[in-house]
Amino acid sequence: MHAGIIFFLVILGSVLFHIFTPWYWTDVASNWGGMDDTITLTFWIGGGVFIAVCLFMVYCVFKFSYKEDRKAEYKPEDKKLERILTWATTLGVAALLAPGLIIWNQYVNVPKNAIEIDVMAWQWGWQYRLPGEDGKLGTTKVVNINDDNPFGINLDDPYGNDDVMIQSDVINLENNRPVKILLRSVDVLHNWYVPQFRAKMDAVPGIVTYYWFEPNKVGEFEVLCAEYCGVGHYAMRGGVEVQDKQDYDNWLQQQETFSDLIAKQEILETSKTKLAKK
Amino acid sequence: MSEDFNDNKTIQAQSSETISGGGGSGLSPDKDYVRPAEISEQDLYHGHSFITKWVFCQDAKVIGVQYFLLATFTGIIGLILSWLMRLQLGFPELAGFMTAEHYYQFVTMHGMIMVVYFLTALFLGGFGNFLIPLMVGARDMVFPYLNMVSFWMFFVAVGVLLASFFVPGGPTGSGWTLYPPQAILEGTPGSGYGIMLMCISLILFVAGFTMGGLNYLITVLQARTRGMTLMRMPLTVWGIFTATVLAMLAFPALLVGALMMSLDNVLGTSFFMPTILKAGEVLEYGGGSPILFQHLFWFFGHPEVYIVALPAFGIISDLISVHARKNIFGYRMMVWAIVGIGALSFFVWAHHMYVSGMNPWFGFFFATTTLIIAVPTAMKVYNWILTLWRGNIRLNTVMLWCLGFIVTFVNGGITGIFLGNVSVDVPLSDTYFVIAHFHMVMGIAPLMVIMGAVYHWFPLVSGRLLDEKLGKWHFWLTFLGAYSIYFPMHYLGFIGVPRRYFEMYDSPYMTSAVGMNEFISIAAFIVGAAQLILMYNIIKTLKVGKPAGHNPWKACSLEWLTPSVPPEHGNWGDKLPIVHRWAYDFSVPGAKEDFITQTTPPSEVANTEVEKT
Amino acid sequence: MSDPKIEGYVLKPGFRGMAEDTGSDQTMFKGVHWGKAMMWIFLLSDTFIFSCFLISYMKGRGSTLIDWPNASEVFGLHVFGVEVPLLLIAIMTFVLITSSGTMALAVKYGYEKNRKMCGWLILATAIGGLTFVGMQAFEWSKLIHEGVRPWENPFGAPQFGSFFFMITGFHGTHVSIGVIFLFIYAYKTFKGHYDEGKRGWFTSMKGDYVEIEILGLYWHFVDLVWVFIFAFFYLW
Ligand code: HEM
Ligand SMILES: [Cu+2]
Ligand SMILES: [Cu+2]
Repeated sequence: MHAGIIFFLVILGSVLFHIFTPWYWTDVASNWGGMDDTITLTFWIGGGVFIAVCLFMVYCVFKFSYKEDRKAEYKPEDKKLERILTWATTLGVAALLAPGLIIWNQYVNVPKNAIEIDVMAWQWGWQYRLPGEDGKLGTTKVVNINDDNPFGINLDDPYGNDDVMIQSDVINLENNRPVKILLRSVDVLHNWYVPQFRAKMDAVPGIVTYYWFEPNKVGEFEVLCAEYCGVGHYAMRGGVEVQDKQDYDNWLQQQETFSDLIAKQEILETSKTKLAKK
Repeated sequence: MSEDFNDNKTIQAQSSETISGGGGSGLSPDKDYVRPAEISEQDLYHGHSFITKWVFCQDAKVIGVQYFLLATFTGIIGLILSWLMRLQLGFPELAGFMTAEHYYQFVTMHGMIMVVYFLTALFLGGFGNFLIPLMVGARDMVFPYLNMVSFWMFFVAVGVLLASFFVPGGPTGSGWTLYPPQAILEGTPGSGYGIMLMCISLILFVAGFTMGGLNYLITVLQARTRGMTLMRMPLTVWGIFTATVLAMLAFPALLVGALMMSLDNVLGTSFFMPTILKAGEVLEYGGGSPILFQHLFWFFGHPEVYIVALPAFGIISDLISVHARKNIFGYRMMVWAIVGIGALSFFVWAHHMYVSGMNPWFGFFFATTTLIIAVPTAMKVYNWILTLWRGNIRLNTVMLWCLGFIVTFVNGGITGIFLGNVSVDVPLSDTYFVIAHFHMVMGIAPLMVIMGAVYHWFPLVSGRLLDEKLGKWHFWLTFLGAYSIYFPMHYLGFIGVPRRYFEMYDSPYMTSAVGMNEFISIAAFIVGAAQLILMYNIIKTLKVGKPAGHNPWKACSLEWLTPSVPPEHGNWGDKLPIVHRWAYDFSVPGAKEDFITQTTPPSEVANTEVEKT
Repeated sequence: MSDPKIEGYVLKPGFRGMAEDTGSDQTMFKGVHWGKAMMWIFLLSDTFIFSCFLISYMKGRGSTLIDWPNASEVFGLHVFGVEVPLLLIAIMTFVLITSSGTMALAVKYGYEKNRKMCGWLILATAIGGLTFVGMQAFEWSKLIHEGVRPWENPFGAPQFGSFFFMITGFHGTHVSIGVIFLFIYAYKTFKGHYDEGKRGWFTSMKGDYVEIEILGLYWHFVDLVWVFIFAFFYLW
């Protein structure tokens, strides 16, 4: 009989662990609270099924364990029961799928007013680029990348000149303003993931991928790389600082644009040649 | 040479003899009548020397045991690697000898070994070879020679795989998914020889498996004994059969992926390689698509999950039924569920790629198909527990493994619904939640089945019963240990800890998990060590175990009805069995005993309520 | 071959019959030789391999940044001062399809136990296959001469070279393996192994003319695949 008891304790333990766990998700800091809700719903339905199935099993173990003089029931099939169970399961599954798909629909449809951010990944680091006054990011190419053009912006693309370049692994975001993360990678797969925002997507070399979210908590967050990218994977971190509009605008003012960079480079260049002439 | 073969003429005459009063003869129809044999006796090669009998052996039972042993050997290597990883994760200060390179190489080899070289080889090569001919009433696999080559290909594949530990750069550390570009670029350990050997080994495995797989399929389709219809086969055979079909159709994608990646690596083609900037230099690649590889890999990878799961489903159904002394509930539903799951498993692969950067609109389709699979899977679970209902359950070691399987499988199945449901997958994918999920559902649950099957069929293989007391210790340590490894691990995933992290204690909210990681590691060591109990049990049993005799579990299926235990080459002596019923006539009201074997003719059980099946 | 007679079992035509065979004991495909059933399933698996190749090809061709070369130019042949597009390939295809025909005849004569005819036809098939492989080698060397490599291609996207060499190479390997077996089978036919039921060298299975049909299945399959490769590489 002890087998039944141990199995029962395992189920009970699982439930208690779930209720009292000190390890649970971080407070959500974006609009994707719906994902948490779907998870909670799945926990209720799925957890209910888990408990029901296991308790039924434990009950059978107690009630029907071997006795020499008992004979098991002979009943190969029960069409009606099977039909009921099939439909009940289908219903349960549909109830889980529906919210999942609704949220996914939001996930793939980016709001119009989202600010685009170019997130560039490499082994092993991040840097970011924001559109300038014109609100558009310049196009890029991997082969353009060099010290003078860290993002590989196409020089003949007029949209590129005023792009704001943040050559740091920390990016600031404005609170309550949706952002569209445009991911690209110059070498292997990476994934820009902030657990508190819930959202993630791989950066794939050769193409640009995207996702969006709207931060809604001021504070600092850690960026983790969530797609294996070689030995440095575990150490490939970055940061996000979500700020109110005021602070954010201040911060933005201080950032360099691509044309600033080019100008700086040219000054350097000319001073160098001057020096050489002297 | 010819004396090595059966004198097949004489036996043939015997087995195609019709039982008295055959169908067309116009006499009163005999209810024991079974159609005469369609196929002539199989012509078997009997080895004489040690080499032909035990090494290059053509007897499927021996090949099955060979597969089993070699797969277990690689599995133990996989287990040791997992210990090293857990040491690093739980007690990094004790694992000073381990660098990140090592860790990633171990993760990769552990994952690939466990999934392909351990579980797949063990279920299909091991159990498939041993059980299929016995269970369908054949003398052997239909192509014994090919079957033998299949095992030796597997042997070479394992050799090549293990050789990669000794080449410059070591084995590949690209993760078992082998995603390019990273897999073949510097920055990943083993990006030169390591990944090459991995690809070669996989190609050899696929080639070898194809030879075995053709055997399993044709044996089931074309070499059943008289009276054995498809719907009378034990579910074990159904599971292995369907899994083999999946393998035959899924491995091609792996083969093609591995081949193309090898070419990218060696010849510098750019199938999967876009323009890449590495250490300030643009590489010679360009224009390829990394996501294409992911599609190929997962078109193989997802069915692969079911290649492991379906045989497990089948075997567990039989074990539960035998030890609950009750027919499996809803046999037909079980068969259709196996076939349905198998078919559907080809339409869900991209659920591994929700956040891979593929067109996000695919998410809708694949989430729907994935959750549809949950329905037949759930039906199977219901039928298992309904089989227990009003049974007469022997709580022996085999049954304990079955119960352990139900708990872990349901647990892992439910977390699968989280991950299949696109938007729920977004926060959880690539975190420890995934690790916990698939270990529970395709690591631990199939392991429970394997263990149950070992305790169940060991008497058939060796003629002796394993010790029950040791068996129970083995079970409880393994089950409770494994559950406490993986149940808490889901919550690491909720915190947001990504998988494949060599170290994680530099983030504030991850530090909170230090204690849990230590606990998990200790549990992992215990589980691993507990397997020694089984080894001890086996050695002890082989020496002094209780003789099992014929049919110790009072099962109905054919494998227990051979004239000698363990069965000899050719399985059935000089007369093939004739099957009259399905494999689950347990506890039939009116019958003398609580089981009626498949070979019992209807006239012997005339006054019972046997269903016409 | 046609309509096997099975004691105590009535074969029915059509879907009904199929369902009944499936539900029956012993065999699902009534009267089908094990080896033949095996070959069918192997070919199904092989179909998946080629499908994966061709789907990858489509995807690769779709995602390259550089233009795909124009097939009729790349594969053109200079004959008597005229540029004839797809000439070589047309001949290759013709040869391979013809060899399928001779193979089918060989199978027929095999079942009629006409050893001589059967042997010669297998030999003819083998020579057809060999010619095909030879012409393919010629085409490869021509392209290589013109600078096409698996990793580069002067006419456009480098993936063209990669896919071309890989897929035709894989197919060519299939043909070559087939040719080797055809020669072996021709030898065995002439020697009368199939008449006597002599055991094979490796597998020690007894010889039977059905083996020729099995090899024939493989050969027709290889031809069929070629038609697809032809369409994908040369006509698209
Ligand atoms: C008690 C036994 C086992 C332990 C302690 C264990 C432990 C681990 C650990 C620590 C990882 C690495 C997690 C990470 O860093 O991302 C891992 C990965 C993995 N394990 Fe296990 N494992 C065990 C059994 C199995 C079994 C039976 C399977 C068979 C399905 C399996 C399949 C895998 C796979 C596929 C991976 C992923 C490898 C990758 O990320 O590339 N493991 N396991
Ligand atoms: Cu990474
Ligand atoms: Cu999957």
